Amino acid sequence: MLQLPEIYAENIHRWLPELLYFSLTTLKIAFVSFLLAVAIGLLFAICRTSKSRALRALAIGYIEIARGLPIVVVLYIVYFVPPQLFPGLNWQWFTDFTGAVIGLALHGGAILAEVFRSGIEALHRGQREAALTLGMTPTQAMAYIILPQAIRIVLPPVANYAIGLLKDTALCSLIGVNELMNDAKSIAFADYQPMAVFLLVAAIYFAMSYPLSLAVRMMEWRFSVSR
Amino acid sequence: MGFWQVLEEKGWYFFVTLLGGWPETLLVAAGALIYALLFGLIIALFRISRWRLLRYPAIAYVEVFRGTPALVQLFVIYFGLPDIGFEPTPLQAAIVGLGMNGAAYLSEVYRAGIQSIHRGQLEAALSLGMTPRRALQHIVLPQAIRTMLPPITNFAIVLLKDTSIVFVVGVVEVMALARNLVTETLQSAVIYLMAGALYLCVTIPMARLAMHLERQRQVWH
Repeated sequence: MLQLPEIYAENIHRWLPELLYFSLTTLKIAFVSFLLAVAIGLLFAICRTSKSRALRALAIGYIEIARGLPIVVVLYIVYFVPPQLFPGLNWQWFTDFTGAVIGLALHGGAILAEVFRSGIEALHRGQREAALTLGMTPTQAMAYIILPQAIRIVLPPVANYAIGLLKDTALCSLIGVNELMNDAKSIAFADYQPMAVFLLVAAIYFAMSYPLSLAVRMMEWRFSVSR
Repeated sequence: MGFWQVLEEKGWYFFVTLLGGWPETLLVAAGALIYALLFGLIIALFRISRWRLLRYPAIAYVEVFRGTPALVQLFVIYFGLPDIGFEPTPLQAAIVGLGMNGAAYLSEVYRAGIQSIHRGQLEAALSLGMTPRRALQHIVLPQAIRTMLPPITNFAIVLLKDTSIVFVVGVVEVMALARNLVTETLQSAVIYLMAGALYLCVTIPMARLAMHLERQRQVWH
């Protein structure tokens, strides 16, 4: 029988600092790709709701493809395909970290584009017109009428996406990024303690994602009460 | 060799090889879907139970499985379980891993579906003289299924995409074959793009179906 408490008592002083150090890389990947995904999502949400047919088609194409592909496949395509398609260029800067961030952001951008679009479309045009008729300036209408409502609609799904993203960073280990999961694998197989190490890693991921999911629940609760 | 030249010379070979991985991909997806549908229902029933002894473990299960990456769960099952005497095959580990992960998700879908049916519906059916079984069969279940079908279809799409990580436990599905082909021929550009296109051929029609079901549900309401 596996004596987990004893295994942890013996090894935790070696395992935990190392795993926590690499969980910083995980957080870094999640943070940078989140920002990038928000930017991509906003851009394509605007394209998706624009009057120009070409822009709309472009946005729909991107969203369908990025949402239809498994994240692992996106990561493999982003990291391995461009250097082979354009071997003449300089790919020195294109590290596994960069590839991981771009891959996750391209995937997340498609999710967020749909979230932002639903936020934009949920607000009736009449809201702005009513605010302007009441004598508000366009800036006031934006600040007091449009944005508060849009944020309420958009924030919970964005936070849910952030939770998913945090968990998806584990997939970056598959293209060789040295983050939490990759380090866990090397410790687990070097020390022949897969169960103990992977459970510990699961606990670390949980500790990172659970506060976020509590925050989502609080937001959903607050927004539904004040409505 | 350029991209198009590789595609012309090796494309057919790559295509046939990758196609050979689909039975395994679909097997994992179908197995995990059935596992998640059944196990998720049990979790959901525990979750809405009046007894804390059932409710709290169900809540903990959902939180833990939704709070950790599926990749870690697969590693615990495939590499961890042998430490305590179980040695699952790759296929078993993949189906159980994705299935347990999915059960946590589906239990929330079931719960929302059950709770969306107002108690008044059941009471009205009973007061019209229906037996509880008939009320459940003709009033509550048809409505609950309509509410749950679109999210379940969406879940099936997510599950199909998630099968692309089970090569880590040694299942030889589409992605595993793609990686093998790249090791063999080094043509990562053609192979990974082709693998991606194959996934899209399945996921995009499924997404259309989910959208169609969702629209129908809204018409009914």
